[in-house]
Amino acid sequence: MALKRLRFITLALALSLGASLLTGCASQKSESLVIYSGRSESFISPFLNQFTALTGAKLDVRYGDSAALAAQLLEEGTNSPADLFISQDAGALGAISEAGLFAQLDQQVLDRVEDKYRSSRSDWVGITGRARVFAYSPERVKNLPNSIDQLTLPIYRSKIGIAPTNSSFQAFITALIQSRGEAAAANWLEKLKANDVKLYEKNSQIVAAIDAGEIDLGLVNHYYLWEVSKALGREIAVANGFFAPGDTGNMINVAGAGILKTATNSQVSLDLLTYLLNDEVQREFVKATYEYSLVLTDAYPVGLPPLREIPSPRVDLSLLANLSKTQALLIKVGLI
Amino acid sequence: MSQEGWARRQSRPSIALLVASTIALLAASLPLFYLFRRAIDAEISEISLILFRSKTLEILATTLGLTAAVTALSTLIGLALAWTLFNIDLPFRSALQALVILPVAIPSYVFTYSWISLIPGFKGLWAALFVLVLATTPYITLTTLAALRRSDWSTYEVAQTLGLNGLQIFVRVTWPQIKNSVAAGSLLSALYVLSDFGAISLLGVDTLTRAIENIYRGSFDRSSASILALILVAISALVIRLEERSRQRLHIIKSSNRIIKRAKTNDKLKVKLIALFGIGSYLALGLAIPLFQLLSIFLANSTSINYSLLFKASISTLIAACLGALIALTLALPVGVLSAQGSRLGRVSDKAILIVHALPGIVMGLALVSFGSSIPWLYQSLLLLSFAYALLFMAKAVGSVRSSVDRVPKNLIEISATLGLPKSATFRRVVIPLATPGLLSGTLLVLLAAMKELPATLMLKPIGFETLATQMWSYSSIFRFNEAAPYALLLVLIAAIPTFLINRPDEGDGIGGDQI
Repeated sequence: MALKRLRFITLALALSLGASLLTGCASQKSESLVIYSGRSESFISPFLNQFTALTGAKLDVRYGDSAALAAQLLEEGTNSPADLFISQDAGALGAISEAGLFAQLDQQVLDRVEDKYRSSRSDWVGITGRARVFAYSPERVKNLPNSIDQLTLPIYRSKIGIAPTNSSFQAFITALIQSRGEAAAANWLEKLKANDVKLYEKNSQIVAAIDAGEIDLGLVNHYYLWEVSKALGREIAVANGFFAPGDTGNMINVAGAGILKTATNSQVSLDLLTYLLNDEVQREFVKATYEYSLVLTDAYPVGLPPLREIPSPRVDLSLLANLSKTQALLIKVGLI
Repeated sequence: MSQEGWARRQSRPSIALLVASTIALLAASLPLFYLFRRAIDAEISEISLILFRSKTLEILATTLGLTAAVTALSTLIGLALAWTLFNIDLPFRSALQALVILPVAIPSYVFTYSWISLIPGFKGLWAALFVLVLATTPYITLTTLAALRRSDWSTYEVAQTLGLNGLQIFVRVTWPQIKNSVAAGSLLSALYVLSDFGAISLLGVDTLTRAIENIYRGSFDRSSASILALILVAISALVIRLEERSRQRLHIIKSSNRIIKRAKTNDKLKVKLIALFGIGSYLALGLAIPLFQLLSIFLANSTSINYSLLFKASISTLIAACLGALIALTLALPVGVLSAQGSRLGRVSDKAILIVHALPGIVMGLALVSFGSSIPWLYQSLLLLSFAYALLFMAKAVGSVRSSVDRVPKNLIEISATLGLPKSATFRRVVIPLATPGLLSGTLLVLLAAMKELPATLMLKPIGFETLATQMWSYSSIFRFNEAAPYALLLVLIAAIPTFLINRPDEGDGIGGDQI
């Protein structure tokens, strides 16, 4: 009986092998654009589908985590099947750029955004902006901090959440090191840790924790408010706040894209980039993803100030490609 | 003493076994080769920075401590569950035997998330211990149940006749017969903890695997990550050595249909109730509560389910995982047989397969990307994906194969030889049928693990080929656990089918799988 079962299972496995080889072969060959996307399918696919409808270009998208996709592209090197890499943050784009795997972009495409939101090597361009903010409970936090330095005060003791392994937090610390130097950044982190800061893995967990009353305030990107509220299917008792003008806590990171040197279809890739940066699409992006347009000054998320009015510090996004110094610091302080 | 089993009697292994085992060894060496190649690129200063910082020591201590604690606890619980389910005549026993395996089908990040959403502030080392013990117990339960089913119960009867009590019988009769299988299950549990990322990252525990992942994320520094991964390899080699030393050769004289008869079961109501309570608690914590929590997350903010997507993802998951399990069995069988025969090639391949099992998914994925991307027809094909599954998880089958083959009794082989059957026929008609319960449970574990695999799947799947795990990820990565929930629930439901099939005892005696 057991043997019969084994035979049955072997037969089933063999059949599935045959079936899968057939389907595998069918999906192999095509002349379409291959996109590696660190942006999630829910956010980007409506725009990609529109592009296909407009141009007839077939887009094959491999979705994944931005950092893992970057590692994969680095590993593939010149063998990569990818034409275009869309990333959630500037760091992953910078890593590909540093490895020399991106092709130069058309100046016209680059000029759609301000030069601080694109690669200094002219090989990737930002598409949308994401601001660092402090998310807080309006009910429980009456004294809003106007500088990250105030977060180390006793009134916030045990009430703050951060996500130290998250790349957006590490980007912020990188900017902090850049503006204040390593010793001052370490000092701030140590004081924050001494203030019994709570550690989370993800920004969304921080926002959810504020809503649940576990903590009162957290350092996150601005759009998590909307993301968590949408996921929970209800309004949440959390608001976004900005620090005083120029504070590193307000830095702007970008999600962007670059065309790979291995691209077999660089014209279509360029067309797609141009499309993603056109006015109409940018406006829809803001509506759909709650992020900032890097092209239009009048397209920004409801309830937040326009991008130009965000008192953000000047940060060199190309520094974000290598966070090892930042990680070393976080390790030294004992936060990761 | 070791001459008792069939395996030890084979003086010269067949060419086919040697070739197949060599292929398995080469396959298992791929990620190791990859790691060495990457690690060589690292600068000396970089290496010393990684190795000689105090945090590394702390990470090592956490990794080793957590692995040891989880393994010890899950072994105790798994053993208790298996023993209870086998010996006590409980209602719905066969269903319970399958249910206790199912927690292994829930991806660890989903499992962990459901607990976090249930208990605010659920994190840290204790939380990780709790989650990982629940998640890895099935490895021990399954291997132990398989071993109990093929135990020789004539000795049990003798022991009873001699007036030994329950505990004495367990220690002196049962334990020696199942010890190796329990150890094999514990090893899988330990390797699981070493390679887990989903649970430990959500719970904020710093193990080596998380440190490796952080390096990839933060600095895209593949050589530093490789050095840490090699440390992980060293730890898993150590764990494997420990397991190997605990293994004992068996003395099996006979085990045939005529004699196999499960001992009279203990029917006292009180005993049954205690047993049911124990099993029920495990099922509640490991299966019911997480699934119920997922369901309520879905219902709290239910969205319309895309049924065609759900259906397609289920089929894709089954095809890729079955194919992976088939390849894994094909590779693990010769290795297990050779290893049981004591062949050096078999033992080396066996160890290599186990060692790479402790590597995090991202490392395995990148190793296969590095090797596969230069072969366009193979890269990101279903074949490579299934091969990745086999490579990642054949360790889950190889131990079962080895121990099952090892305990095929010699008298049956002799009878077969007396009847004039050639070695290959003996293998096919005597060894394989006797080893079948072990082979099946090993293959099942590969199948269940492959169905929920994520990091390597994202890198290696054909574009547009979505599995339940990738769909689940695409929602959960943007915090939409409500939309991810149907995929998670379906994954467990589908996983239940092979689990029930393999665990279904044959009618009547309730000792399925060991009849010739």
